Amino acid sequence: MEKQNSFLTKDNIVLNLDAKSREDAIAQLSEVLYKNGIITDADKFTRDVLKRESMTTTGIGKHIAIPHGKSTAIKVPSMVFAKNKTPLKWNSLDGSKVTMIFLMAVSTNNGDKEHLKMLAHLSGKLMDDSFVSKLNKANKTKDILNLLED
Amino acid sequence: MTKIVAITACIAGIAHTYMAAANLKKYAKKEGDEIKVETQGAMGIENKLSSQDIKDADVVIFAVDTSISGKERFVGKKVLKIGTSEVIKDGDSAIKKAEDLVNGKKQ
Repeated sequence: MEKQNSFLTKDNIVLNLDAKSREDAIAQLSEVLYKNGIITDADKFTRDVLKRESMTTTGIGKHIAIPHGKSTAIKVPSMVFAKNKTPLKWNSLDGSKVTMIFLMAVSTNNGDKEHLKMLAHLSGKLMDDSFVSKLNKANKTKDILNLLED
Repeated sequence: MTKIVAITACIAGIAHTYMAAANLKKYAKKEGDEIKVETQGAMGIENKLSSQDIKDADVVIFAVDTSISGKERFVGKKVLKIGTSEVIKDGDSAIKKAEDLVNGKKQ
């Protein structure tokens, strides 16, 4: 039986993403969210996320980016975490190139608070240097899941 | 020790609100300051500051990219207004700026 709180599974993790640009990464990961049944229109979601990106960068430093978008079609807030093969330019706050990407998808009408809470909790953890360094080193799906769900 | 209260709020209310809150707490702790952070995000208002919290605070930090609710609670307080990105990028200097404000140093 599925765990009550299984917010993340292996379907939410992409190792060895081979995106060539920020736009490419967001498009590819939107496809993953589409395949996971989180969003109904990957192209539209990609556009929404890029629109958000154009307001302020989501490259928060330390090689991490957290692009995100809202959509009315989203029933359950979710995310996908990816490690890209090559560092991507992301206009980051600290100038670093991005290798770790969290693409978050949230409903416009804020349905599920439990999952929002987990996204918020995860966002807070990204300020913890030791967490980021562990995440940087982890290269197995299982290890990444353990870190994210901790 | 400086007593700080803060509000964090970003446009989407998903990530930056909570990252900024975490970073303010992290650096306030490093400085030995006391801090309470109210988040106004997608989950609504959390850890709401009480009137006593606000009364006791030496300084208020608004780490916000959008309008916030309950701003009138802070009338007459020393306020540092800053964007969430700045706090995420450099939480250390955000806390130090707030301390400087209390100590009357020029920004």
